Amino acid sequence: MIKKTIHKELKELFRDGRIKMASIIVLLLMVTAIWISTNQYNRSNEQYEKAKVAEREVWDNQGEKNPHSAAHYGTYVFKSKQPLSLLDQGVDKYTGTSIFLAAHTRSEAEYSEVADQSELARFGQLSPDFILLYIIPLLIILIGYNSFTKENEMGTMSLLKSQGAVPWKIMIGKWVAIFLPIALMTIVLFVIAGILLSTLDGYTPFKWSSLFVLLLVYLFYYVIFINITLFVSKNVRKSGVSLVLLLGVWIISCLAAPKAASNFAESEYPYPTRQEFENTIAIAKKEGLDGHDPWSDAAKRLEKEVLEEYNVDSLHKLPFNFNGYRMQKGEEHEAAVYKTHYEKLKNQFEKQVDTYITTSVISPFLPTRLLSMGIAGTDYYSHWDFADAAENYRIAAQKFLNDDLAYNTKYGQRNYVADADFWKKLPTFNYQPPGLATIIKQNTFSILVLLAWGLITSALLFNFRTKN
Amino acid sequence: MFYYNFKYELKILLRSRWIQLISGLLLVLFVFASFNGSQKIEKRKAEISKAREAVKTSDARMLQQLDSIEKGHKVQVARWMVPTSPIAIGNYYPRVAAMDPNEMGFIAVGQSDVFTHYVSPRVSADDFSINFTEMTSPIQLLFGSFDLVFVLVYLLPLIIIAFSYNVLSEEKERGSLRLLASQPISIKKWVFQKLGLRFFWMAVIITVISLGVFLLNDVVSISGLLSFLALIFCYMLFWFSLAFAINLLVGESAKNALSLIGLWIVFVLLMPSLISQTGDIFFKIPPRMQMVQEIREHKAEAVKKQDEILDNFLRDHPEYAVNDSAQSRNFWHGYMASQNLLKEELQPLLSSYDEKLEEQQNWINKLKWTSPAIITQRALGRLAGTTKQDYDTYQEQVLQFAEEWRSFFMPLLFNNGVFTSELAKSLPAFEYKPKSDNYLVSSLLGLLVMTCVIMGVTVSMYSIRSKETGILGS
Repeated sequence: MIKKTIHKELKELFRDGRIKMASIIVLLLMVTAIWISTNQYNRSNEQYEKAKVAEREVWDNQGEKNPHSAAHYGTYVFKSKQPLSLLDQGVDKYTGTSIFLAAHTRSEAEYSEVADQSELARFGQLSPDFILLYIIPLLIILIGYNSFTKENEMGTMSLLKSQGAVPWKIMIGKWVAIFLPIALMTIVLFVIAGILLSTLDGYTPFKWSSLFVLLLVYLFYYVIFINITLFVSKNVRKSGVSLVLLLGVWIISCLAAPKAASNFAESEYPYPTRQEFENTIAIAKKEGLDGHDPWSDAAKRLEKEVLEEYNVDSLHKLPFNFNGYRMQKGEEHEAAVYKTHYEKLKNQFEKQVDTYITTSVISPFLPTRLLSMGIAGTDYYSHWDFADAAENYRIAAQKFLNDDLAYNTKYGQRNYVADADFWKKLPTFNYQPPGLATIIKQNTFSILVLLAWGLITSALLFNFRTKN
Repeated sequence: MFYYNFKYELKILLRSRWIQLISGLLLVLFVFASFNGSQKIEKRKAEISKAREAVKTSDARMLQQLDSIEKGHKVQVARWMVPTSPIAIGNYYPRVAAMDPNEMGFIAVGQSDVFTHYVSPRVSADDFSINFTEMTSPIQLLFGSFDLVFVLVYLLPLIIIAFSYNVLSEEKERGSLRLLASQPISIKKWVFQKLGLRFFWMAVIITVISLGVFLLNDVVSISGLLSFLALIFCYMLFWFSLAFAINLLVGESAKNALSLIGLWIVFVLLMPSLISQTGDIFFKIPPRMQMVQEIREHKAEAVKKQDEILDNFLRDHPEYAVNDSAQSRNFWHGYMASQNLLKEELQPLLSSYDEKLEEQQNWINKLKWTSPAIITQRALGRLAGTTKQDYDTYQEQVLQFAEEWRSFFMPLLFNNGVFTSELAKSLPAFEYKPKSDNYLVSSLLGLLVMTCVIMGVTVSMYSIRSKETGILGS
């Protein structure tokens, strides 16, 4: 019985001109989207390589210089594209890809793409994630909205029942008939992406396991949409009404809820403005040691402590140059200030994520969106991880430079310059993005909400007691 | 006939609760969206006035200190912050260059979540160090805001579709089409009147709700309200004309709904994303990293040659060398002179980026006529003053102001002059002047032309078809 239903439904699907048309359009869009994002991926990898090499050259060849001048001159680190960004670009467009690392300041990533684009870009872009997240659910609705209503309208439901068909078997048949073509399309897309990724050169190794988990997330997302579609179709009399209702669900879930959630998140847990944030940090910095200022109270206190610790009566007798030491201590104080304030910012962001998760109650789109960009390594968590790694590297680089001042010069020595070769000794910045296990842990709530959506909609769908 | 149509249509709409439903829905959507918009505006206003307050307080302190110094007293400040030094004033007492929201700001969040609304240019900072982007969670940028533009551009067409997809097909499916065909009115005219009346009622509801929302947000500009309404009405006309076309040319209710939804996806979702993508593909902006690296090279060069640059600068500006007999020069003289040179040297590089961006914008501006959603989004954004164009204008004016601010202190610095409380009165101040152009008229015309084309094509196609098959044939 189930087999027959599947067979009949699939045949009907393939004979329906509209669905054929729609599927062809979706496939075409997918191919275009993959083509566009492959180009982008290659281009940004190329730019990344160029920028990275050029910047290191600039650093290595800065010539004889005082280490602290070099610290102010600074260097840049760059974020490479993650392989799965080919499928989900996530927030990449909205975060910068280069971070300036210099003495005394933690900088934000610069030059986000969105700042160069007009408001038109905010409509979204034709990328695989757009099709996976928005268009395929629409296709599911298109295929399934009249699954049951047509039987009622044509009077075939009673015929079916008279044949002794069991409701749950019809349901499974219809369900599988929608799931099969959708799953096939999705799997084809993912296989193409996988093959492309394993042949393209990237900077982060591509893992089939991540791709597979991403595929599972999307298939589960479609399961939820199929459940909702069939549920509505089963419980409504007219095809037109079913279609309108389902579109309503789609609009609320995919368009309205994310936007509303972003408004809630912002009004509940706002970010400070850039100026406010910088001011707070400037004030906090002033309360502690400034490496450049030997006359401040904090500097005097440090001097006293160090003299006591080494049991000497003059800075000249210390086994290192106190000026370099103070510079490093100042740097450490500043790094601690940044750490506290960025920690606060991150907290605020995590509370915002909670708001998104709460809003997921009315939208299966939200947890899928968060999970998808998480697995693709293009979400905000990934950006934080990169920015924090860059900051750690900055702190290490400052210590490297200040230590040279402290241990290779004498107190009171002026006009010291380090060798031209010295800069090459600074280790390079090697960033490893978090692994799949960490990502899954970060997104536990999204996974739970998504599972709940799946379970609840399935339970609703296969609850036949109220009818008959 | 029109009178009957008007009367019965209203009765039907009221009895089927359509009018009540739509009024309620639109009321909720408008109020929620404008609340979100105005919340952002209030936050922005509060931040700007806080920054201005801070300037006022620090100015008062500066005047007090200047007064003491001028009277010959000693003041307790770090030596590099003593307010008689022009550089100290230029660096530690910057003005707030703010972009105040306009009163219609609440209708579109636009790019206001990407860019900052106030900066304080300092005399020693160069133009590249002014960061114009705001600290916003990128997830928020990705999802966007539930503002009035979202309601109008995305949701309103869907409401129109739900309100009008089955005007004719319903009669056909119910069997009342035969009755209608016996009436002394053509089907074309009848559908036209029926949709026209729906448009009319919807327009009335929207006018009333908008009036309320605008009053709530203290908008006093009547021309603003009228432009807003004119834009919405023209956008609505476009969608009603599509509904007219589909009603006459397609047939079954479900098919109608599907076709209209398809058109919605094309115009609202696909076209905008495709167009913005083609802009990126055809007019590639050279990577910003390249720019950063060139700037760094120039800066490093300037640092090395600071003395030489200062000499050249003084040669080019003899007026600075003449007035001051002492000719004493410190770090700031060399620094400011090299800043000046850097700016001149980097101008061509920066302009090349601006040109590329402009080319991209022009391309998009041409293609925007293919989607009414883009036209409406842009025009509403312009009304609210939150488009990229508005932020470009603001940023340009800030850079001009930064130059003005520097030029105010340059003569003082090079003549080794002293900043006085008298001079404090003539410090330059920033005022944002929005640029206006005739985007509104062209947008309205664009939407109307599209509507007319759709109506014309529909009517002629329908005539051909009904001659071939008759009104009832299908």
